[in-house]
Amino acid sequence: MRSLRTSVFAGVAFLSGALASAQGVTLPEYHYVELDNGAVFILHEKRDVPLIGVQALISGGAVTDPEGKAGLSNLFATMLEKGAGERDAASFAETVAGVGGSLSASAGLETVSISGEFLARDADLVVELLVDMLRAPALDRSEFSKLRDRQIDLLTAAKDSDLRPLTSIYGNAYLFGDHPYGTPVGGSEASLAAISHGDLLAYYDDFVGADRLIISLAGDFDAAEMIDKLSAAFVDWRPAAEALPEIEAPAPEVGRRVLLVDKPGATQSYFWIGNVGVSMHYPQRAELNIANTLFGGRFTSMLVDEMRTKAGLTYGVRSSLQRPSKPGSFAIVSYTKTDSTVVAIDLAIELLARLRDEGFDDDLIASGKNYILGQFPPRLETAEQLANQFAALQAAGLDESFVNDYGAAVAGAASEDIRAVIADVYPQVDNLVFVVIGDAEQLRDAVAKYGPVTEMSIADPRFRP
Amino acid sequence: MALFAELRRRNVLKVALLYAVACWLILWFVDVVQAEVSVPAWTDVFTYFVLVVGYPVALWFAWTYEITSSGLKKAADVDQTQSIVYKTGQKLNSAVAVLLVLGVLAVFGQRLLPTFEFLVPGVPEGDAPASADVPADIRSLTLDNGLKIIVWPDHDIPNVVMYNFVRAGGRNEYPGITGLSHFFEHMMFLGTSNLEPGEFDRTMEAAGGANNAYTSSDLTVYMDWFPVSALETIFEIEADRFQNLETYADAVQSEREVVYSERRSSVDNDNFSRLAEQMQATAFVAHPYQFPVIGWPSDIESWTEDDLRSYYETYYAPNNRTIVITGDVTPKQIFGLAEKHFGPIPAQEPPPAVDTVEPPQAGERRIVVEASAQTPLLHIAFHAGRAKDPQTLPLSLLLNILADGDSSRLHRLLVEEEQTALSVGAWLDEGFDPGLAYFYLTLPPDGDPALVERQLLDALAAVVAEGITEAELEKARNIVLADFWRALATINGKASAIGDFEVFHGSYEELFKLPSRLEAITVGDLQAAAAAVFDTDNMTLGVLRSPDEEGAL
Repeated sequence: MRSLRTSVFAGVAFLSGALASAQGVTLPEYHYVELDNGAVFILHEKRDVPLIGVQALISGGAVTDPEGKAGLSNLFATMLEKGAGERDAASFAETVAGVGGSLSASAGLETVSISGEFLARDADLVVELLVDMLRAPALDRSEFSKLRDRQIDLLTAAKDSDLRPLTSIYGNAYLFGDHPYGTPVGGSEASLAAISHGDLLAYYDDFVGADRLIISLAGDFDAAEMIDKLSAAFVDWRPAAEALPEIEAPAPEVGRRVLLVDKPGATQSYFWIGNVGVSMHYPQRAELNIANTLFGGRFTSMLVDEMRTKAGLTYGVRSSLQRPSKPGSFAIVSYTKTDSTVVAIDLAIELLARLRDEGFDDDLIASGKNYILGQFPPRLETAEQLANQFAALQAAGLDESFVNDYGAAVAGAASEDIRAVIADVYPQVDNLVFVVIGDAEQLRDAVAKYGPVTEMSIADPRFRP
Repeated sequence: MALFAELRRRNVLKVALLYAVACWLILWFVDVVQAEVSVPAWTDVFTYFVLVVGYPVALWFAWTYEITSSGLKKAADVDQTQSIVYKTGQKLNSAVAVLLVLGVLAVFGQRLLPTFEFLVPGVPEGDAPASADVPADIRSLTLDNGLKIIVWPDHDIPNVVMYNFVRAGGRNEYPGITGLSHFFEHMMFLGTSNLEPGEFDRTMEAAGGANNAYTSSDLTVYMDWFPVSALETIFEIEADRFQNLETYADAVQSEREVVYSERRSSVDNDNFSRLAEQMQATAFVAHPYQFPVIGWPSDIESWTEDDLRSYYETYYAPNNRTIVITGDVTPKQIFGLAEKHFGPIPAQEPPPAVDTVEPPQAGERRIVVEASAQTPLLHIAFHAGRAKDPQTLPLSLLLNILADGDSSRLHRLLVEEEQTALSVGAWLDEGFDPGLAYFYLTLPPDGDPALVERQLLDALAAVVAEGITEAELEKARNIVLADFWRALATINGKASAIGDFEVFHGSYEELFKLPSRLEAITVGDLQAAAAAVFDTDNMTLGVLRSPDEEGAL
């Protein structure tokens, strides 16, 4: 058993999907092929270790889940591992593990992704498995019902465990409500139960096809050969039947409201304080990332310094920016023992106000810049990371300048622009949505001061009232 | 014009040019040397200062004096007809030309020459690996105080990783100080006689670096990830906290609260960890592996300043640590910095050995943990071996076959076919002392722990009786081999992997024997490992369930 000093920072500094960059870091050369049916292949040869990184994306994801059926796209993704082509679920898993490979599929808010890594000697197998998963998934009925039932039970099990992973799911669901960004990507116990095998088959026809496919491979292989194989395999694939839904920008919340999720007997409260933030296309990304790094994106950030280091209220706190194609959520996320819940939430609000009032001095800004720039190169070190980066850029409709110019933008960011971005992005303390998970009996009266309280039980089979 | 002509005649202009070229060469040289060895940081500024001050002096000298056939004379005293300024001028021209050629050669040649090592005796080369299987550019060095440093250069990205392995963990604790190793991991960020609490992290992050640390039953490990530009800064602040730690009372008290918060999230409010903590405390009756790494709550409250002080002196001494550095560095550069910053830290008496041996278990042990739970948990553990025991690798391959991924035997059986479990996993402790082979299962809300127990034990008995197939062994080999390559794809993975082998297997070189050791393992080795370990007399079994459920055992 290991006990980590901090566990909340991985991935926080670069939250816009897998998109990232820094000064002096430029994306390497790559091959780009787009077929007439819209399928895109991106390939990059990298031969330092005998591995191949695999990333396939299908635009769409949880935002396409029908009403009341949240989790459908994620179930579909997981079903891709449950048999394809000639292989049933068991032999598919056996084939991947048998060569020491990894291959898994899951949905995000706006994509379905297949990620993996294989030894270089298995390059042909990589293509075979990808083609089978995308063009000939088994989508077997009994595997489906088994998987769906298990996913439901796993959500129940997750509520018995460390609640940190669930806090943001409740937060986004309560903030966005019926907007597609409120969809819990993995579904809820109730929404999964509503999904039928017919829904799964319809999803494959409606939302999966060549017109929204991106395959990105990086590693130890011959790119020209790989392009030939992929082109031959996908050239005659059909497009998806349904158009992707237009997503409207969610309106920022005005005023305050509170959701209290009751977990009887909990000795700790988990809280999420947020509002609508920005999209991945926010023009002043460098300024915003500097601000967020200094506010709650690293160990010496304002939030960690005040709430953990000085006050000892929590082991972890962070400022999170979820950045999909339209504005996603901004949130302060933390946890504390039950009887310090109000003290911790009050302090978090006070720090948000301080951020907006005072911003950061030039020394801190210089420190934040160095941190972002110094921590960047290891994020594009491996074939797998590069494959993911190329695919993420393509899916978001961004070009390499998003990575290549970012470092200079960070280095050159002006203090007054950072201050302006803070005022623009971070909500005023009067406009906040609160989610508190904990022992309601002990919290009910105390949290009423933050706004009108709605209550639900952790045992409710959904993530919002 | 007359002045200019005279300046020319007296070769002042040529001296000016020669001086400028010489300055360029000298500054370049200082720069190179500074990058390679640890000279004081002000060396370049000082050199620059001397050269600037020297410039007018040199010009004045050239104006005032003249070289003649009978030596150096004041220019004013020289008979113009006897003057050899023309010849001197030619010599100066040649000197400028020679210096320019040298300069160009040196600057371009620097890329080809590895370093200017010959100029800096004093910095040791370190030991090259003994085996041909090991990457030839790795070097290791043990300082006089016993601190061992291993360096693996990798210039793909301009970053560096430093791992500091401290041989201190839960196994070095006893009732009253359980959790102290882990608390110390937090203390190491809370100030020294030179740095205020928090200053360590602020300095590191301002230089572009990040860090983390973890504590296990065997080790406390400190990890720094930083751009190469921060190298000297990191050495300074790391050496400082390993030598000058202060225990500020306020910071200690506040950090106790942080550790409580950590305990509440990762143990008290997490059913998996609640059960695992009780399993560990039950499986071991003598050996300190019975203590939770995070500590028993009453101990977290009661460590004294003396406990902290003596722990630091004993366990954080250089002779009880190993440092691994990978990334955009040269061994020479690192060994120079290490001698400068870590060399002066005195060695201490080695810590007391952990002599307690867990007595053989004679009969199964069973526990129930009652907790608010919608889904019951079942954990089953068997005593196994140490990291460096020969049967550890076969046993770890066997656990792969049994419980790693969707194709594993237990997943197929319990999750897919019988559907009596939601998930199953396993790990094998690989530490200094014999640890556990550990299976953990989550059951569905109405799951039957007794039934799952029978199914799992039958599956283990089948391995003991019939062994595993060649295909299963090949799969496990491939998984471990792919993990091996995955680790070597990043400078962080490299540091972690060679550090683990250095600490637990006695030498980092053992890591690179892994592929050939995998080849040599047979299905018989795995069956023998199963027979030695999967015996119910050697088993601890735990169930976590809601208080209202009956009959779990």
